Amino acid sequence: MPLSGPFLQELERIVGAAGLVCTPEGRLVYECDMHTFYKGAPDVVALPKRADEVVEIVKLCRRERIPIVPRGSGTGLIGGAMAPVGGVMIGTNRMDAILEVDLPNRCATVQPGLINLSLTRAVASQGYFFAPDPSSQMVSSIGGNVATNAGGPHCLKYGITTNHVLGLELVTGAGELVRLGGKGAERPGYDLLGAAVGSEGTFGVVTAVTVRLLHAAEAVKTILASFTAIEDASEAVSAIIATGIVPAALEMLDELMIRAINEGTGAGYPKDAAAVLLIELDGPAAEVEAQGERAARICWERGALEVRVAADVAERALLWKGRKEAAGAVGRLAPTYLLQDAVVPRSKLPAIMRELIAIGARHRVQIANVFHAGDGNLHPLILYDDREPEELERAKAANEELLRACIEMGGTVTGEHGVGLDKAKNLPLQYAEADLNFMYRLRRAFDPYLIMNPGKLLPSHPACGEGFRPARPRVPDGAWI
Amino acid sequence: MAVAARSIGEALVTIAGRDRVRDDAGSLDAATVDGLRPRWVVRPVSLDQLSRVVALAYDGGLAVVPRGAGSALELGHPPSRVDIVADLSGLDQMIEYNPDDLTITAQAGMSAGALAALLAPRRQWLPIDPPGIAARTLGGITATNASGPLRARFGGLRDLLLGVRFVQPDGVVTWGGAKVVKSVSGYDVPKLMVGALGTLGVLAELTLRLHPLPDTERSWLVTLERAQAAQEFVARLVDSPLQPSRIELFNDNALKLLRADLAGVGVAVSIGSVADAVREQGERLSTMATAAGAQIVPLPDGFWGRVDSAMAPPPGFTVLHVTSLTGRLADTADALEDIARAAAPGAEVRLSGCASLGTFRVLVGGASDAEMAAVTTRVRAWVGEVGGSAVVARGSVELRRAVDPWGLVDPGAFALMRALRDEFDPKRVLNPGRYVGGL
Repeated sequence: MPLSGPFLQELERIVGAAGLVCTPEGRLVYECDMHTFYKGAPDVVALPKRADEVVEIVKLCRRERIPIVPRGSGTGLIGGAMAPVGGVMIGTNRMDAILEVDLPNRCATVQPGLINLSLTRAVASQGYFFAPDPSSQMVSSIGGNVATNAGGPHCLKYGITTNHVLGLELVTGAGELVRLGGKGAERPGYDLLGAAVGSEGTFGVVTAVTVRLLHAAEAVKTILASFTAIEDASEAVSAIIATGIVPAALEMLDELMIRAINEGTGAGYPKDAAAVLLIELDGPAAEVEAQGERAARICWERGALEVRVAADVAERALLWKGRKEAAGAVGRLAPTYLLQDAVVPRSKLPAIMRELIAIGARHRVQIANVFHAGDGNLHPLILYDDREPEELERAKAANEELLRACIEMGGTVTGEHGVGLDKAKNLPLQYAEADLNFMYRLRRAFDPYLIMNPGKLLPSHPACGEGFRPARPRVPDGAWI
Repeated sequence: MAVAARSIGEALVTIAGRDRVRDDAGSLDAATVDGLRPRWVVRPVSLDQLSRVVALAYDGGLAVVPRGAGSALELGHPPSRVDIVADLSGLDQMIEYNPDDLTITAQAGMSAGALAALLAPRRQWLPIDPPGIAARTLGGITATNASGPLRARFGGLRDLLLGVRFVQPDGVVTWGGAKVVKSVSGYDVPKLMVGALGTLGVLAELTLRLHPLPDTERSWLVTLERAQAAQEFVARLVDSPLQPSRIELFNDNALKLLRADLAGVGVAVSIGSVADAVREQGERLSTMATAAGAQIVPLPDGFWGRVDSAMAPPPGFTVLHVTSLTGRLADTADALEDIARAAAPGAEVRLSGCASLGTFRVLVGGASDAEMAAVTTRVRAWVGEVGGSAVVARGSVELRRAVDPWGLVDPGAFALMRALRDEFDPKRVLNPGRYVGGL
């Protein structure tokens, strides 16, 4: 969809020449996010600095019915921040200021392009932090975290992004600047803020975010337990949660992943371990101490090979080292991998692991696992060689089968990465026509011209435009009407 | 559309069965909403029945008022029409309880008390505690976004509702969210349903996140002379390593109902954890209170039950829900009392507040509707300055005609709310006129 000269001139008038990326090689940088499968370069990238510029861009695109794709740092994993049908990409990178830190009310207001970790760094000296910690937090933007409702290892205790967003300034697909929520607790009316977080840029472009700041915990304890069977580790997870302990993080690695990490970074996990559990507790010192002892005891009771407790910050970092380098370590096993993040009820972890092994065998692919065990959020890495097209097909087939298995166990297709282009086609596994129809109509209230991030989050339907049409219930026949 | 009442009644009977459709004077009088008497009271006992009742109303252009325990009928504008009261107390079954996953799915008509009894043997709970909680239904609590002191630690329904099945205004049964504790698959429809007063759909089934009951829980009452001192104490507490589950502020009137021997501003703090940690945090709390020049007393187990009854409004009391900022806690508490004293001299004002969030529950007794209208307007003006709001959570129909019970909503946000209401309920089948801006 080549854009007209006058359109580009208007765009340049709004953001200035320095705020436009028009060259083919410049636009190529924006053709995909971290899910490099899905490629689609925008026809132009606009890099506004202020909310009023965003309003003007959206109004211009609305007038011309040009699709808009918002983009933060492009670290998403779902094919969300790419332009499958071209159009205008709005990059928020130049909107990266901290607008206000309000410690008496324990919140901060930032522009969407601000890097997640920059906020914590700005308030850490006063003892505060911003809780959502996706593993991309060194590079991902808060606007992107809001768009995908990002999680992270510590969301087991602290909740995901939506639990920390108090207010948004949003330019809707209609080009209206609206303020949803605010510093205080909720306001009367529909929770539009709650609906907008995780809407993946399909409602509009976020231009400011007010987030909650938390006071850092007094003590942190990290425990690493290894097991000879993944069932034992899973049972330990359930037992820990059942005793009332809510760890800050509860991560698991499976046998293949342990091997890859051991060969790579030398994290030194026991050689015959089939599962490694990383348990992190934080809170008041006495509580962390007592709960740490209890968690360790549970691990021993479930037949742990060994239980290590980090004595200081350096040891903590060492225990986390393997987990943090997991994705890189699988590079030793295969050139590339498919990653997804389906969720099963926590109690179904042993069952889904058995199923996963069977699926891998059926499709002749290796699947390495690292997951947020505390909330049943899987992160299987389905390994394949991208030089063999047939291997990719097998990996994809295994991926689809695994998603279906997760749904059959009562789960969900994505726990924290989002839907994007990647999983839009999978939503019908989880939602009926009526449910999808409701979501279509919800989207249309924010984006009446359907220009915001088209093709993302919701599947397209054969009867295009109208969305899904659910059947209505039958009412009695008769003369009553 | 001209509709013959007799035959609609028959259609309702066909759907729900004769003994679950009432149109006798006694039943209709008892189901009156703000002076409007319905034409039928229907008590569906299945999701299918509920959806067909709503579909019938949609086709017939009738207005449906969903009702749980009936505790929040004095919330919002008086409805513009009431034809059918849908009594949801017959939808009170547990559908799926997964204790190992800390999730439960239950029908919306189940009472919070029944849920608590169901969860107690597994030492789990739904940490939501608006006054009068036990009798209220899960659907009602969700539709009105009710909360109490526990919100300080566990958040509100928006943080606990994972999935929701609801009946759209045209009768279509719809599901949003997931049955697992973590999902970002599609829009967060459950959040949209919390506090929507059933105007986008009648809540039918809720999947909720549960929490384990702590090993031990202890509470203390810290009393200070002035609200400003209370605010400073709360700020220090929130910034301390302590992890209280409740930090509830009480004014003198409320305090006297809880502990007749104490006076001033009270801050009740509970801590739930393993026994050692509770003891240790209790000691630290005492040290903090003493350093602040405050008095601190340990509280008996039944204390929060007393709060529940003290802050549940007696007949004739009006309830305002006020949101402000935690950094303006003292200002707001003082302003609320000052405004009430000036605009409604002689009224009794009981005040409690979630101190770490800056939200207040204000009970006013002995004020006329005109006085209450003035209180509401002035409180609204005051908290409006800090971006807060004041909602008449319970008030006479006259009061709710004299002042907008919700208060103004930001025009941009309201345009979106109207668009949603128009999209999903253009015929205004569900709770017509009751919601914000008369939606």
